[in-house]
Amino acid sequence: MALEFFLPDIGEGLTEATVVRWLASVGATVTLDQPVVELETDKAVVEIPAPRAGVVLVHGGPEGAVIAVGSILVVIGDAGETWSPAAAPAPSRRVHRPEAAPIVGTLEEADAPATVRPPALPLVRRLAAALGVDLAGVTGTGPGGRVTRSDVEGAPRGEGEVERRRLSPTRIAIARNLTRSWQEIPHVTTYAAADPSAILAERSRLGGAVKKMPLEALLIAAIVPVLRGHPAFNASLDGDTLVLRKHYDVGFAVDTREGLMVAVVRGADHLAVAALGDEIMRLAGAARERTITAAEMRGATFTVSNIGAVGGGYGTPIIPLGTTAILSVGRAEDRAVVRDGVVVVGKEMPLSLSYDHRVIDGAAGRAFMADVVAAFEGVGR
Amino acid sequence: MTEISMARALNEALDLALGADERVVLIGEDIGATGGVFRISDGLLERHGASRVIDTPVAESGIIGAAFGMAVAGLRPIAEIQFLGFSYPAFDQIVSHVGRIRNRSNHRFTAPLVIRIPYGGGIGAAEHHSESNEAIYAHTPGVKVVVPSSPADAKGLLLAAVADPDPVIILEPIRLYRAIKEVVPEGHYTVPIGEARVLREGADVSLMSYGAMVRDTVRAADGLAADGIDAEVLDLRSLSPLDHAAILASAVKTGRVVVVVESHRNGSVASEVAAVVQERALYSLLAPVERVTGYDTVVPLKRSETHYIPGVDRIVAAARRTLEA
Amino acid sequence: MDPLRLLSVDGGLLGDAPIGTEEIRRLFAAMVTARVFDRKGSALQRQGRLATYAQFEGQEAAQIGSAAVLRGDDWMVGTYRDAAAMWFHGYTWDNLLLGRMGDERGGAPPPGVNVMPPSITVGAHMIHAVGLGWAEYLRGSDRVAITYFGDGATSEGDFHEAMNFAAVFATPTVFLCENNGWAISMPRERQTSSETIAEKACAYGMPGVLVDGNDLLAMVAVTRDAVDRARRGEGPTLIEALTYRMGPHTTTDDAGRYRAGEDVEEWRTRDPIDRVREHLKAIDAWTQGWEDDVEAAASVDIEAAVERAESLAPPSPDAMFDRMYARPSVVLEEQRRSLFRDEGGTP
Repeated sequence: MALEFFLPDIGEGLTEATVVRWLASVGATVTLDQPVVELETDKAVVEIPAPRAGVVLVHGGPEGAVIAVGSILVVIGDAGETWSPAAAPAPSRRVHRPEAAPIVGTLEEADAPATVRPPALPLVRRLAAALGVDLAGVTGTGPGGRVTRSDVEGAPRGEGEVERRRLSPTRIAIARNLTRSWQEIPHVTTYAAADPSAILAERSRLGGAVKKMPLEALLIAAIVPVLRGHPAFNASLDGDTLVLRKHYDVGFAVDTREGLMVAVVRGADHLAVAALGDEIMRLAGAARERTITAAEMRGATFTVSNIGAVGGGYGTPIIPLGTTAILSVGRAEDRAVVRDGVVVVGKEMPLSLSYDHRVIDGAAGRAFMADVVAAFEGVGR
Repeated sequence: MTEISMARALNEALDLALGADERVVLIGEDIGATGGVFRISDGLLERHGASRVIDTPVAESGIIGAAFGMAVAGLRPIAEIQFLGFSYPAFDQIVSHVGRIRNRSNHRFTAPLVIRIPYGGGIGAAEHHSESNEAIYAHTPGVKVVVPSSPADAKGLLLAAVADPDPVIILEPIRLYRAIKEVVPEGHYTVPIGEARVLREGADVSLMSYGAMVRDTVRAADGLAADGIDAEVLDLRSLSPLDHAAILASAVKTGRVVVVVESHRNGSVASEVAAVVQERALYSLLAPVERVTGYDTVVPLKRSETHYIPGVDRIVAAARRTLEA
Repeated sequence: MDPLRLLSVDGGLLGDAPIGTEEIRRLFAAMVTARVFDRKGSALQRQGRLATYAQFEGQEAAQIGSAAVLRGDDWMVGTYRDAAAMWFHGYTWDNLLLGRMGDERGGAPPPGVNVMPPSITVGAHMIHAVGLGWAEYLRGSDRVAITYFGDGATSEGDFHEAMNFAAVFATPTVFLCENNGWAISMPRERQTSSETIAEKACAYGMPGVLVDGNDLLAMVAVTRDAVDRARRGEGPTLIEALTYRMGPHTTTDDAGRYRAGEDVEEWRTRDPIDRVREHLKAIDAWTQGWEDDVEAAASVDIEAAVERAESLAPPSPDAMFDRMYARPSVVLEEQRRSLFRDEGGTP
């Protein structure tokens, strides 16, 4: 049975050695401990003695080759024996899975508020958990506002049996972002219904049998000109300054297992509908596979949230931090509609627009919405 | 029954050990005719002779290295180093040989020797004479480290160290050698190595200390009691092994822990106690663990020494901080 | 100061042989056996089967000649380069191999063999031989202690403390300096500006002897005098055995970086084994067949020791906790449980 001799670490922490000279060629007979090869390591030139007597079957490398510690240096067997390398197990490769970046809104605005967790000793936290008391709702009377044991004991408790589940990190981030948006931005929501016939016809026309055209592509393509005419909707509020963005990076919501994420189509104003469709499909796929990068989720200037797929109608979309408005598009459904003075059955697409009332008045909001409806209904014309 | 000092109690212990076991020899500098720089071996040369009480040349590595060889060959040497600050020349012997021979010979050879070292400040001594670097030795595998705080414990721990099959370093608080007198049991007895002792039961806060700081810690407890604060005092006594069970029992009981040591803070025994408490008793805590320690400075000389060594006030203040939490 | 020499380089007798022919043959066989082990040790290291190995080639006479005059129960405290002396005094090949494989069980010689595991730190161990001998003296035993160390170790402060203690207390200690010319890469000249190391004994008030360390008979003679003197209670002796480290410091060293090959070749002509062979030939006490038999028997013994050492199951993962104290503390027991918690398995 041939002995595969793997290069040992012969010098206290070496990782490789260079073959200087083979002292026993392939086919040569060697005795136990007879030098077979001269190696040079970082520390010294050394001769390696044969670990068994026999015939040299294989050299691990020619003179000058660098052999890694743990690799085959030489194979010694019996005369007439042949040797071939065993099927080497595939090297285990560590797959890098990026941490899912949670999102509603954008990452740069996702900083945690100054204090999310009221100060309390671990002991007090455990007591609160046992009693079902939410520490956030307890006013701490200890030094520095610390919640004390008696604060918890005196606080109102949850009633009945409960199960307490800690949120996933993604969900925690989503919750924080939504809370901040809701608390910081005075939301006004306005509603309208658009006739989706044109947009659906155009979608069918552009989509192939295999590749479906995402609705968001048509929505975004239609809305970019409207944003140009209403710059306050493609903006952010920085302290007392309104920052009007001259680029159109439109966010769209993707439903993933971890929750709703916003992916951003960069330079939407420069992309034709087909290209928009490709980019949207790519980003949505990446978000679901959790390979989307943080950069691809950051910096939307306006957001379109298509909730039609999940049967949504009207709603109150929450404005992502760092923007001034968001449009939610519900499912197009048959309704009794008035067309040319006659009540008929027609499709209606419910639209809900939330905007930051600090910088956009009601009249401006309604005007923007009217233009959006007109743009959607005029698609393809 | 008369009250005796720690110095006297240690002297009694050495005398008993020499009398009881002819394998016991004392070895050190100036321990014979002079009776040691602190007179701990006073009179023992006369009683036991020069082959049992051996004055050596001034060479700490030589003392510990020779005592190590003696112990391996079957004697029970008790070596004295004059001050903790003079033990460093013997550090290699202690770390590389005394603490390792059982391991490196797989029990074939052992070194049951005792190393007595006066330590700590508070007597206005010269530089290098006030060190409290016990953590260095508590960090060393293979040796045990004990620190008595009373005459009775000093005698019992020293006799336990002599009887121990492994090397034991006994650190003797210099400023308590003659500061406390108490009735000490007569004859031979031992205090188990590795067991802390509750000196005073209490419900509100646990003050944990050892050696020279125990006296001030008890005084702090008295002061707190006057204000209606019921402090428990735990004397750790053994730094290696450390009595985790006693530490945790007290921490869980009161929920507040103050560790009081004289040594530098970084990497101190106080840090280890605090770490044990947080690992095992965090959810019982009512306040963060406080450490009352010397500073990470050289021990200042006489005129500034009192600012370095923690006093009763610092202990009381730390205990109060835990009660405010 | 000329070194004491009893055998010339070509094997001629320069004085009275301190031992008879049979004993010379026994020690010659021991030197040959030790060299077989030394070469095996290097080969095993190159094959990745030992950790670092420190060769003693060239120092066989210094070690075997001195160890030969000890009584079976005398103490020996040597270094990582003293395997020949340790083996001759009862330490087993198995244990020497195990130690170098990284197994603490190698540090435990058989019961009754008073050989300390080899010292890895340089210098501190000399004092241990003082304490060991001293303890024997105090207990009324006439055992002596011998310690081996290199020329480099004489620069350590502990050399001074050991020599001084031994002389002051007249302990039964033999200090055997194997001056092999090199402390890793530092030549003897860089360790001391004394002409000899032996003369340092004078300052401590003990005899110092300079001897040809490659001369088996001279080594026997001077060490026997020193051991006898110690056993009679007359105190310590320093022996400086002039020899040469034929190999590198250890298997991780490359002596070519700091010394010329000529010195090695020059010293090869003074090889301690060759010299005794020449002597035995001259008195018709040697045949090639006999030496071949000795070498073959050594190989068989040593290969068997390798086999035993390599087939010994590795220590259990938690054995380290059991070796620290007579009984592990509660804290160590907790750490033992945490080891099994983290690595799996059961205590």
